[in-house]
Amino acid sequence: MEQILATTLRSAAPLALVATAGVFAFRAGIFHLGLEGLMIVGAFTTVAVGEATGSVELGILAAIGVCMVLSAVYWWVIGPLGANVIIAGLGLTSIGLGGTAFALGAIFDRRGSMFTEVVLPRPVSGITSGFGVIVSEHSVLVWMTPLIVLTAWVVLRRSRFGLRLAAVGEYPFAARAAGVNPSVVRLQALLIAGALCALGGAELSVGALHNFTENMTNGRGFIAFVAVIFGAWHPIGAALAALFFGFADAIGIQSQINITERVPREFVLMIPYVLTILAVWLGGLWRRRSLEAEAGYAELREPDR
Amino acid sequence: MTGGLQRVVSTLVLVGVSFCLTALILWISGYSVGEVFSGIIQGSVTATGAATSSIRWSIPLLLIGLGVVIGFRAGFFNIGGQGQFYVGACSALAVSLGWSGGPALLVVLCGTLAAIGAGTAWSLLPGYLRVRFGTDEVLTTLMMSFIGTLVLQYLTAGPMRNPSGTGQTAASERIPEGFRITDSSGVSPTVLVLVGGVAVLVWLLLERTRFGLAMTLVGRNPTMARWQGIDVRRVGLGAFALSGALAGLAGAVELYGPGARLVTGFSPEVGFTAVVVALVGLLSVWGTVVSAVFFGGLQSAILFLPIVTDLPPPALVLLHGMVAFLVTVRFRAIRLRPATSAEEALAD
Amino acid sequence: MTVPRGAASAGTAAVRCRSVGVSFGTVRALHSVSLDLAPARIHALVGQNGAGNTTLAKVLGGLQTPDAGDVHIAGRKLPPGDVRSARAAGLAMVHQHFSLPPSFTIAEALELTAARPEGRSVYRRAELHRRWHEDVADVGGTAALSTRIRDLPVETRQSLEIVRALTTEARILVLDEPTALLTPAAIEALFERLRRLRDDGITVLIVLHKLREVVAVADTVSVLREGELVLGPVEMSEATQGQISDAIVGPASGADRSIGVAAATGAEHPTLLELVRVSSRESAFEPGLRSVDLSVESGEIVGVAGVEGNGQRGLVSVIAGLGAAIEGSVLLGGSEATRSPPGRRRSRGLRLVPFDRNSEGISRSAPLWLNQSALRLIGRRRRRSPLISLRDYKRQATEALDHWQVRYNAVTQPAESLSGGNMQRLILARELAPGLEVLVAAQPTRGLDFSATSFVRRSLRGLRDAGAGVLLVSSDLDELFELSDRLLVMYGGQIVARLEAPFDRRAVGDAMTGASR
Repeated sequence: MEQILATTLRSAAPLALVATAGVFAFRAGIFHLGLEGLMIVGAFTTVAVGEATGSVELGILAAIGVCMVLSAVYWWVIGPLGANVIIAGLGLTSIGLGGTAFALGAIFDRRGSMFTEVVLPRPVSGITSGFGVIVSEHSVLVWMTPLIVLTAWVVLRRSRFGLRLAAVGEYPFAARAAGVNPSVVRLQALLIAGALCALGGAELSVGALHNFTENMTNGRGFIAFVAVIFGAWHPIGAALAALFFGFADAIGIQSQINITERVPREFVLMIPYVLTILAVWLGGLWRRRSLEAEAGYAELREPDR
Repeated sequence: MTGGLQRVVSTLVLVGVSFCLTALILWISGYSVGEVFSGIIQGSVTATGAATSSIRWSIPLLLIGLGVVIGFRAGFFNIGGQGQFYVGACSALAVSLGWSGGPALLVVLCGTLAAIGAGTAWSLLPGYLRVRFGTDEVLTTLMMSFIGTLVLQYLTAGPMRNPSGTGQTAASERIPEGFRITDSSGVSPTVLVLVGGVAVLVWLLLERTRFGLAMTLVGRNPTMARWQGIDVRRVGLGAFALSGALAGLAGAVELYGPGARLVTGFSPEVGFTAVVVALVGLLSVWGTVVSAVFFGGLQSAILFLPIVTDLPPPALVLLHGMVAFLVTVRFRAIRLRPATSAEEALAD
Repeated sequence: MTVPRGAASAGTAAVRCRSVGVSFGTVRALHSVSLDLAPARIHALVGQNGAGNTTLAKVLGGLQTPDAGDVHIAGRKLPPGDVRSARAAGLAMVHQHFSLPPSFTIAEALELTAARPEGRSVYRRAELHRRWHEDVADVGGTAALSTRIRDLPVETRQSLEIVRALTTEARILVLDEPTALLTPAAIEALFERLRRLRDDGITVLIVLHKLREVVAVADTVSVLREGELVLGPVEMSEATQGQISDAIVGPASGADRSIGVAAATGAEHPTLLELVRVSSRESAFEPGLRSVDLSVESGEIVGVAGVEGNGQRGLVSVIAGLGAAIEGSVLLGGSEATRSPPGRRRSRGLRLVPFDRNSEGISRSAPLWLNQSALRLIGRRRRRSPLISLRDYKRQATEALDHWQVRYNAVTQPAESLSGGNMQRLILARELAPGLEVLVAAQPTRGLDFSATSFVRRSLRGLRDAGAGVLLVSSDLDELFELSDRLLVMYGGQIVARLEAPFDRRAVGDAMTGASR
């Protein structure tokens, strides 16, 4: 049981970080399906720069930088250039997945995966029994995740920037009438999201594991996106959803070891997806009432250029 | 039709830009762009069997891509082609393995129908939620796609696993040779006639029937369509069903054609690439045929003849990503998704 | 130091526009508008829909960048298209459409729009509430700071918009059609409030559509027509109502021929459309229908009057089959149609001119021929082949568009390339084709210029004379008086008055405002 909880935390932390990224984008009105791509770029850059410089901090900083640059390009394509948000987002994901796998071969001449010794410190380790197992062997990023989520909550729900962001996402006309440039706010949101994706990816490669593997995000970016929807695009809600999906993942891993005969792992892994369909359906029902009230607003959702 | 010409030109330019960017990355990584280019030509056209292989890879792209075109025509965004493709293939496999002693023609027919049915079911659920409750179909088709992938994973690792199979990736048992409609090259007159016929039918449906025109109106402005007395829900469900049916059919063709068995996570990019194919084909039937052959050729060059091109498969994913990233630039005019007020109209 | 004379005179005007011009593509929204507004007065800006009022207001507020000309506030030139500097100069805007995000609480919304943020950029809820407590006291009612904007009644939202504008310490208030959604009582309260603000020294520019309201509140009036200022700011005392309305409407343009429509005629007058005790659910903007009885016979135009938002939308959607009747029945041509889907009703000769041309009447991006052929896509197939001939569709569309004198280049061009008047002609060409039994026309002349308006009115009359039935829903009383054979007045989802021609303006007005009950 303790082992399951420990695994839950380990699986949930990167999800929560990327889900927080998704919340920033979603609140600014962007359906960000490029999270997966940014996450794997973050994972790869951390390992690559970490290996090159021998410093994990530099690796993470570089990852944040690269992901922010990619986010800015994404913003440029969907904003000023007017590309479709969803297709460009999926394209960004493919660029990330293909690009990192390609770069692994081109730069390090490896196929598949590479091991790294430049990893994040683990504040508590070596506990093998009792409840201590739950908190043992987690990277410093796991410990910092709750803090990051709380900060995101303050920024989104208790700051003027958060108000501007919400206005841009919900009703760009209001933002413009208040003298806010929606395009700039979207860029800011995407940059923050990019940095958080980099952290999520870094936790995956140099926090939980000590390697980079092709396609190692394995759909986590999408699950994080799902957590955003499931958590009603509230930072705390999304983090709790991430925790829940982490738990499902932990059970999935456990059942693979123990009870394969009774519950196939695939079915456990389907749970988040099925729940998400239910959530968007029921959430849609609930939201429709307010949507109706906003029908007058709907006519006003001018393309803001 | 200057507007149409403009769209063709701008799409060609954007695809060209994506290629140049990818080429730039390859060049920086130390590949010789000229060699890669001639490698791609060889691997897709001139080398022995390359042209056949190009067609083989363009078939699933075309079928799923046509489904995407139908969805877009009615204003829906079916990005779940991958899952519909997988459950289609799985159903055909289940029929074929379960009734392996039956008469080939009948079993293949039943298997194909089962595949079409499964693909349809996989897209009808998101479709129903969309037209009945206004639930966003981008999310639900994506989720259904992930679930479909897991279904395939489960079946190939569990009930349909070939116990004597070796190697790391799980695979199903093979279907009897008599059920196959092509050899392992994946191309035969039967398949070509079938796929060509489907393309013609889809074109007739979209451009020369009242249902097709109604779909266009619904896609452009569902509110107006409702005021005109068009049954927006019926049209929407029809579009979703056809879209999934085509992806399911692609699954059956894959199984009875080149596959003969199913491997966990086969053709992993085909669903997403089909969306790119449809967009590059400007959401028109014949445009999609051309773009499917083009992307099929690329796929063949890199997946099938890696020795010729010297490129690892991820380069292909990178290229597809680049095209998808840029291809919709300034496409706002054609309104891929109806406006919010339009969603309102569909919701109740 | 010498002060140039121009600067001195600019100092006397609170707002000064010089040769302001705005174009949207080929459409000229404003052309060389120059306007001086004296301080501490209420200035009315009037004109028809599309005359450029809203555009001018947006230019002043910095939401629209002008192509030419500039704006001075209190003698200082504003950088064009910059909301922040317009506010810093003391100009605040109240928008035609509400500008506060619906999911925000009142406190959050005020904080979002505050001109000069105070304190840290991170706040606590309590802090926010303390800060905005006094401002909201003005709004009146029970609105608490934690109430969400979407839960507020329309009047409270409107007052909140003004509160929001004034929190920026504005000296100039620009209101863009603030009366559109208000009840007469709320309009009077708003005007009272504006008078008090004026007496406190604030300059008010208010965009209005109704002459009555202009007379009630304005000190000066200016008129825009087709983007040009045709009547400069004149004192209300010096302008006659006739002068103002002439300026709004402009000279009558050349008449175009009226078009007769072949419809079923008969010596008798069968009832074509009938509603029996119909009730429907309320929507966010409107009360539901309550036990509405109504009938339209062959050869008559039945007018429906009422302040917008009193159930007219519900009425039309129940007739069209787009909204459900929870009680009562709808009869088309004497037979039951309550449960028929919209398509079936269309096939039975119901034709509709919807409220909003752009979103409900046409598909902007679809080609003209497809817009024109929409009604051919429903109902039973006439031929055996499932395939259709596009050439036939396009030919028929061309004939209809030519017959209705729609101005276009090719039937393949998208409908959005048409002007408003031509769009309405396209809708009429589609809806008034043979097969029509009864027409429901909702605001058919809204936003149209004079010649297009008279064309539509002649068409409706021609339709009636040819024996069809017409239900005309309009908020333009003159139009209703001119066209209707009978007039119904809606108020709160009910029909509160049924009048026969000749109509008494006073009686209709009383019924519309609920005064007669």
